[in-house]
Amino acid sequence: MARRAEREAVVTRADEMVLEAVRDATAASRAVRIIGGGGWAEAHAAITPDAIALPTRATAGIRAYEPDDLTITVGAGTTLAELDAATHPHRQFCPLAPPGTDDATIGAVLATGIAGPTAATWGRPRDLTLGVTVIDGHAREIRAGGRVVKNVAGFDLTRLTVGAFGTLGVIVEASLRLRALPAVDESWLLTDADAAAFASWRRGPYAPVASAALDEGTLVRIAGNATFVAAARAALRACGTITSVDPRRWHALRASHPRALPPLAWSPLAARVKTAFDPAHTLNRGLVPR
Amino acid sequence: MTLAPPSAPTPGIAPADRVALLARCRAIVSERHVLESPSALTVYESDGLPGYHRRPTFAVFPGDRAEVLAVMSALAERGVPFVARGAGTGLSGGALADGTVLLGLNRLKRIIALDPVARTATVEPGVVNATLTRAAAAHGLHYAPDPSSQSACTIGGNVAENAGGPHCLKYGVTQNHVLAATIALPTGEALTLTRDDATRGYDLLGAFIGSEGCFGVVLDVTVRLTPDPEKILTLLADFTRVDDAAAAVSAIVAAGILPAAMEMMDQATIEAVESSVYAAGYPRDAAAVLLVEVDGAAVGLDEDAAVIEAHCRAHGARTVRIASDATDRARLWQGRKKAFGAMGRVSRSLAVQDAVVPRTRLAELLTAITAIGVAHGVRVLNVFHAGDGNLHPNIPYDAQNADESTRVHAAMREIMQRCIDVGGTITGEHGVGLDKLGYMDALFTAPTLEAMCDLRTVFDPTHRANPGKVIPVHRCREWRAAPNARQS
Ligand SMILES: Cc1cc2nc3c(=O)[nH]c(=O)nc-3n(C[C@H](O)[C@H](O)[C@H](O)COP(=O)(O)OP(=O)(O)OC[C@H]3O[C@@H](n4cnc5c(N)ncnc54)[C@H](O)[C@@H]3O)c2cc1C
Ligand SMILES: Cc1cc2nc3c(=O)[nH]c(=O)nc-3n(C[C@H](O)[C@H](O)[C@H](O)COP(=O)(O)OP(=O)(O)OC[C@H]3O[C@@H](n4cnc5c(N)ncnc54)[C@H](O)[C@@H]3O)c2cc1C
Repeated sequence: MARRAEREAVVTRADEMVLEAVRDATAASRAVRIIGGGGWAEAHAAITPDAIALPTRATAGIRAYEPDDLTITVGAGTTLAELDAATHPHRQFCPLAPPGTDDATIGAVLATGIAGPTAATWGRPRDLTLGVTVIDGHAREIRAGGRVVKNVAGFDLTRLTVGAFGTLGVIVEASLRLRALPAVDESWLLTDADAAAFASWRRGPYAPVASAALDEGTLVRIAGNATFVAAARAALRACGTITSVDPRRWHALRASHPRALPPLAWSPLAARVKTAFDPAHTLNRGLVPR
Repeated sequence: MTLAPPSAPTPGIAPADRVALLARCRAIVSERHVLESPSALTVYESDGLPGYHRRPTFAVFPGDRAEVLAVMSALAERGVPFVARGAGTGLSGGALADGTVLLGLNRLKRIIALDPVARTATVEPGVVNATLTRAAAAHGLHYAPDPSSQSACTIGGNVAENAGGPHCLKYGVTQNHVLAATIALPTGEALTLTRDDATRGYDLLGAFIGSEGCFGVVLDVTVRLTPDPEKILTLLADFTRVDDAAAAVSAIVAAGILPAAMEMMDQATIEAVESSVYAAGYPRDAAAVLLVEVDGAAVGLDEDAAVIEAHCRAHGARTVRIASDATDRARLWQGRKKAFGAMGRVSRSLAVQDAVVPRTRLAELLTAITAIGVAHGVRVLNVFHAGDGNLHPNIPYDAQNADESTRVHAAMREIMQRCIDVGGTITGEHGVGLDKLGYMDALFTAPTLEAMCDLRTVFDPTHRANPGKVIPVHRCREWRAAPNARQS
């Protein structure tokens, strides 16, 4: 019990330090550059060079996890690898699979909001995020959303935060939806495919969890109970030649994703949102127009 | 004056503005689509939640987008507040207009496009939820969010409330199915909100969905259509103890099976349903029944159903039966979908509640709810989306009876506080509207409510769209800053 209180105190202190850093920077008319794992140099390069570094790794940690609820609350500095290490022993996982490596922090993954190949079936980051705690440009601690899987109380500040590239708030905590690991999970490389047959397989009842077009063929992932996967595999085999693939192939694919910053989608309404939450452009200045 | 919610004051309309606006609106939508006599306005004084009555100053029903925009511009010119309304099936008093103008969208009911290859549809806001699914059926598709009110409620209302339904357990709520929306800001300016994950920008569409009519008016919505499953299996399990049924729910969730739906009804609800025309054949002596549905590819589905059945039996289910055919399945579902209606029949009024708790706390909460009911001398009927932990503890009562009403409200407040205490929330699908304003301070911190209010101000700087709803007014910066705002 004492240990737990101590840990919570440390965690809160890390969140507080983020808040103080934002407050101090705003007071001094300076900008901050939010750093998760620091792995995506292109995103950092776009931020004004005189911004003060604001690391968030110290917020890392599992803050609440009741496996049977299939939800988890973590500090934003927690890495994808740490999240897996906490959930895999319970045969659970969070289907975030963004470009890059598992050293990425949850805060950064949600801030960039980019989805991985399983997004269409298992949800995009914004669908998997139940709530976030953020420090906005006014140095307000905003506790948006919640920890339960269904929630329509108040306006949706969670959705607004995910994908905002840290320009509306520094994420310090997030609650996420988890899934049970599928009983069977297979990856196949499809070659010499009959395009029409494959297209109809994909739209039918055996729709795969993910697929990706590669130079050498199509990478396909099927998951579910044993009976289902066997039938899906047989139907896939009827579309061409299939070869079993090491699932780490998906990791390699993530690592080789283009690194360039995605194009900006901006509007007068978006500019008004920015002004409401960070009028001085303290947060990640340079990532959105001033 | 008291600053306590939920009685947020809404500014009235100056008589001269009212006269001028009535004339303008009649010119725009024609005489017959403007209502102002008290008798004609009676139906618009309440929504699906009995107990609240607010009278709009008048109601206007545009016939197309151009008319909506013209009416909204006229309202904007005079700074007059308004409330959008779809079918009025809302359960939080959200569509009530207190002396303001009611803007009915139910005449805009065209399905603008339906693309079976892309599996999308674009519809006007007044299209009824079930109508869209019927239109998609010919292509083996359906619109997945299925509120129990689907035969009446509109897609515009669904977007405004981020509506859910029994099958949202597997398929997700409205938010997960909307691809784009054209909205009118309260100024009368139309703009299209889309979602593009490959760009850097803000998810304004996501922020708009669930904004309860406070950010603007939905003019059209593009939604994803979902292929009909190859096979559906519906199980009915009955239990002699409510705790056992709740424990079975937790076990099924924990086992990693994702049913399409998992609904629970307690003894009082079963009794109400079985005594009504919607009798579904639920065993009347059961303490609770679970309705669990799995769907998807035909192959492998029997295995999932077998696992569910095993978990139910392991947790003390007396019987588990699988619907024999589509008719049997429809009957089992009818009891569930009409449960609110069946409850409404046993009393004059029905207090409808909507809260969410972590799924592992369901059994504990149901026990607490029963105890709270006993302590206040009221009878709680539970019918709910168990797989999501989304409770609907409802209390039949007589609103004319002041003492009973007081006890009902005290019981509800205690139930909601318990849900908050275990890490839950005060609404999973019905929205805050007017009814839940009083719980917002217990759920969110002051800076969080202020931030929500700031977001609303971005869309609606003068707070004319559905004023006084969702966020307690004393939490808004503008309100605290402007002394004039306190007079009304
Ligand atoms: C090869 C490669 C390609 C990539 N391509 C894309 C792409 O195309 N599109 C895309 O969106 N992402 C892309 N990413 C980013 C990636 O998906 C993850 O977001 C990133 O890997 C996270 O790593 P990190 O923790 O090192 O984040 P960092 O590199 O530290 O941060 C990434 C961005 O998120 C912000 N940020 C970090 N933490 C927080 C926080 N707690 N609160 C608010 N903001 C925060 C940072 O300011 C920065 O803008 C790519 C990454 C790599 C390595
Ligand atoms: C028997 C019964 C069962 C129900 N079951 C469910 C359920 O399972 N799941 C669930 O989620 N809900 C349920 N509801 C609640 C209700 O049906 C939903 O909230 C529905 O989305 C409301 O739609 P409506 O068209 O009736 O909206 P209304 O009640 O007319 O309005 C609701 C809110 O939406 C706003 N609004 C309406 N149209 C627009 C528009 N075009 N633009 C902007 N704002 C607009 C209004 O201002 C108001 O705030 C149930 C209700 C009943 C009576």
